[in-house]
Amino acid sequence: MAHASDHAADAPAILSEVKPAVLPRATLVENNRSFNWITEKICGIIEGKTPTWWWVCFILACFVASFTVAGITYLVITGVGVWGHANPVNWAWDIVNFVFWIGIGHAGTLISAILCLLRQKWRTSINRAAEAMTIFAVVCAAIFPVFHVGRVWYAWYLFPIPNSNVIWQNFRSPLEWDVFAVSTYGTVSVLFWYIGLIPDLAVLRDRFFNAGNKIRSFLYGLFAMGWRGSNRHWSNYEMAYLILAGISTPLVLSVHTIVSFDFAVSLIPGWHTTIFPPYFVAGAIFSGFGMVLTLMLPLRAVYGLQDLITQYHIDCMCKITLATGTIVGYAYGIEFFIAWYGANPYEGFAFINRAFGHYAWAYWIMIGCNVITPQFFWFKAVRNNTALVWILSIFVNVGMWFERFVIIVTSLARDFLPSSWGYYSPSIVEIFTFFGTFGVFSVLFLLFIRFLPIMPMAELKAVTPQADVHGGHGAEGKH
Amino acid sequence: MAVQPYGVIATFNTAPELYHAAEQVRDAGYRHWDCITPFPVHGLDKAMGLKRSIVPRISLAGGITGFITGMTMIWWTGAVDYPLIVGGKPLFSPMFAFPVSYELTILFTAFATIIGMFLVNGLPRHYHPVLKYDHIVRGMDDTFFIVIEARDPRFNLANTKAMLEKIGGAAVTELEP
Amino acid sequence: MISQATTAPVALPAESGDASAKKALTVGIVGIALTAIGLLVPGAGAKVVATSWLVGLTFWSAMAIGMLMLVMIHHIFDASWSTVIRRQFEHGLASFKWLLVLFIPLLITPWIAHGDLVWPWMNLDGEIHGGHTVGHDPLYLKKAGFLNKWAFVFGTIGFFLLWMWLSARLRKASFSQDSDGDLKWTFMSRKTAAFGIPIGALTLTAAAIYWVKSLEYHWFSTMYGVWFFANCARGALAIGILIMIWLWNRGDYKGVLNTNHFYSIGMLSFAFTVFWAYVTFSQYFLIWNANVPEETFWYNLRELNHDGSTNQWWYVGLVILFGHFVVPFLYLLSYKHKVVHSKIKPAALWILGVILIDVCYNVLPILKDAHGDARPFLTLNLLWVLTSVVGVGGVCVWSYLRSLPTAKLIPIRDPRIGESLTHHE
Repeated sequence: MAHASDHAADAPAILSEVKPAVLPRATLVENNRSFNWITEKICGIIEGKTPTWWWVCFILACFVASFTVAGITYLVITGVGVWGHANPVNWAWDIVNFVFWIGIGHAGTLISAILCLLRQKWRTSINRAAEAMTIFAVVCAAIFPVFHVGRVWYAWYLFPIPNSNVIWQNFRSPLEWDVFAVSTYGTVSVLFWYIGLIPDLAVLRDRFFNAGNKIRSFLYGLFAMGWRGSNRHWSNYEMAYLILAGISTPLVLSVHTIVSFDFAVSLIPGWHTTIFPPYFVAGAIFSGFGMVLTLMLPLRAVYGLQDLITQYHIDCMCKITLATGTIVGYAYGIEFFIAWYGANPYEGFAFINRAFGHYAWAYWIMIGCNVITPQFFWFKAVRNNTALVWILSIFVNVGMWFERFVIIVTSLARDFLPSSWGYYSPSIVEIFTFFGTFGVFSVLFLLFIRFLPIMPMAELKAVTPQADVHGGHGAEGKH
Repeated sequence: MAVQPYGVIATFNTAPELYHAAEQVRDAGYRHWDCITPFPVHGLDKAMGLKRSIVPRISLAGGITGFITGMTMIWWTGAVDYPLIVGGKPLFSPMFAFPVSYELTILFTAFATIIGMFLVNGLPRHYHPVLKYDHIVRGMDDTFFIVIEARDPRFNLANTKAMLEKIGGAAVTELEP
Repeated sequence: MISQATTAPVALPAESGDASAKKALTVGIVGIALTAIGLLVPGAGAKVVATSWLVGLTFWSAMAIGMLMLVMIHHIFDASWSTVIRRQFEHGLASFKWLLVLFIPLLITPWIAHGDLVWPWMNLDGEIHGGHTVGHDPLYLKKAGFLNKWAFVFGTIGFFLLWMWLSARLRKASFSQDSDGDLKWTFMSRKTAAFGIPIGALTLTAAAIYWVKSLEYHWFSTMYGVWFFANCARGALAIGILIMIWLWNRGDYKGVLNTNHFYSIGMLSFAFTVFWAYVTFSQYFLIWNANVPEETFWYNLRELNHDGSTNQWWYVGLVILFGHFVVPFLYLLSYKHKVVHSKIKPAALWILGVILIDVCYNVLPILKDAHGDARPFLTLNLLWVLTSVVGVGGVCVWSYLRSLPTAKLIPIRDPRIGESLTHHE
């Protein structure tokens, strides 16, 4: 309420005469919480005793992660043959999982960067966790291509470092573009995340110092870089943050664009289609928001963050999921249409085969999860039902994994010559390795929520009504 | 005379109070002074009379460097040092060199932005008198401060203190250097 | 700044622009008449004039579609700052019905002469490269269910009717709210936007395929609808900027707009510049990289003659690369260029100019010489493109000016109007 009227106070006098319709904006921090409440709430999570559930989850996550460790250890000892790829399907779960995890990461960047540029202030309570999700997802994604190179100790050959063969990397290959795209993405995501953390680390530094915990104060202080909340610093800081948001936006688009190039620059039917770049990006954001909902809803319940992640936030995330899911649906439709319109028999076959061939089950799971599931978010009753939203978000995650599976495997299994057709099934090693990445992700995420502020305190405070310097003082002095 | 203090610090409890006080400090002609806030207060830059940050220029320089680095690297490795025809493509074309150069543009911009921001801010910094202030932890939490440094030509311990009190500052205190 | 000038013009209906409306209509009719004369000029020929007319119609339809999409996007985002500008786009939507009227000549071309005045596939007996006729071309027969005269005609009429319907709903909700201040209109607009955006996306894609892409019916690209949308949005934003400056200079917008409105719309223009480049580059890049003849021929036609020499369209392509992306991108990076009226205005005009060139690049190479090479860009034919653009444009501007005095200058009782008037960075 305060929010809406503050602005009205600044508005021209004429508005009080004409009486515009009143539709207050949703408040982003509910119950009119004070600055101190926010600090205590978020720092309290870190300063409090480690809850039992955290240990249970952590041990469970470590156990699951051990599957990845076992899987890749076996692979390194034995060879890439332990995975299920074979002619003609030489790319399968490895790249499916890679694209799946990278895609999940994109919602984090979307929330922190694109929504920042669009001045969608509701992003503040979820952006920290979403950025953390990005980084951990990139870690999980990187596992697959790095170990798929076989002799992983030669992975540095991917970078243009002079080697004993005096040969250089093939910059005409989209896989080499991927190396740059993903490593840039990882690096910039970490930088962006870290920049956002600095003011909050300074808070923790001073709080631990006052509480007498010198070691933790030193560690947080080390990374806080001597931040002291100076407004001369804030001025440059905010500019730097805005620029990072500005460059992260084209970055996140380019990363999934380049991932889509892996397929689209080839000639395989079903892969070579010009809409792949934006279609992949929309899909990535879609899957990422699915994952954000999957992670944030339990976190909100466990830590009692209902005042910070409000129903309005959930609404917004559901609507973005709906929008991107529908864009993905548009891309499926236009691909199908152009496969017919292009009148190329191979292209046409590839799509018919996806829908009715050996992998039709995967195709219909994909359609069901990606196109049908989000349509439920049209309904307010669905969006208000947190448990249902959470279940639907799981469907989105599943659907997007299947999308990559359908694109990659069906096209390779049925390319031009029937004599070279095949059917791919994953080996148990692949299944374990992939299963384990959820553990790797969870371990990292649990460490994050234990040791770092899960929400950006400074940004949250800045969107509260009492942060408005014109609040309660009328309109004088503005402009 | 005892050791010259670093400056004086005054406490303000709300963002609007700080905002209006900052306008008055600015109008009083002080140059070496600062606000300490737990979050970026909207409009405070103007109230303090700060110029637009110069960080964007550093970023731009970084971006240009990155793009040129990418293009040059791909041209030199592919067309000069070890020319090799792959996939019937030319030895060098800005087309296929674009994705990598683009990524390097962003990478270099990001580093330039962050390094630039730290340099302009004079961070990292091991020690600062403001951080020695007893109540600074509140400045990271929910309280606002104005610090006027002793090196400011208009600084005069008694007068400056009086002014800070007049514009609404509470607990006006000297800061040790 | 705001507080001084707030009182007067905001609540008033926009000043009537009868004189300018008449002027615009006159210009439009003269343009149309000149284009019609082109039909009689020896050397021009009906094919050239009809194709040029298509350029004019596509260009202005893109503007109107862009406005429609932007208004709906405004509603779906519950955006605030753009509220004061939205009304101008709503006036712009009045042009759909006139665009449909102006489209009628092209809708009857399938039944004039051989039917292939503009679209070669409309003449089943037309000869194609290699000596076959369209009617025996398997690539045509495969898609005949989509590319046939009746589907084209009813499709086009249907698209316009859908756009007119969406526009009518948006205009009604917005204008009615001015008088009664009822919140239900806001919700109605939001609902219109929710189903209107998918409808808009599908229809504009289909329109781009029918009107432009099918000119070269062998060619296909899944990106095409997205490319068209990018131009629509950029064009609408550029026109929005021009209207803002025009109404500012006329005095209407004084006290309503502040620097940040210009900054925000400039930012959006910048964002869509990047989006356009992204989409256009991706399309070109994927086709270049895969190097499959069934796709590359479309770009080859726009780069090379049959003897391998570079043709004019190659340079037009470079003009588009630099003019449509690099120049606006670098120019709009600067804060000053976005907020100073005299600096943003040339940028908006420039963007409109390059959009026109982009449309020409996509349409005009269908005019081929005896060798099957695209006829050059810079010929007398360009004259008919210009008269068409002026003709259609005059009518569109007239329809906007005619709508302008029928409602208040800004949606004065919109729930977001307060936020919009005090829009800050």
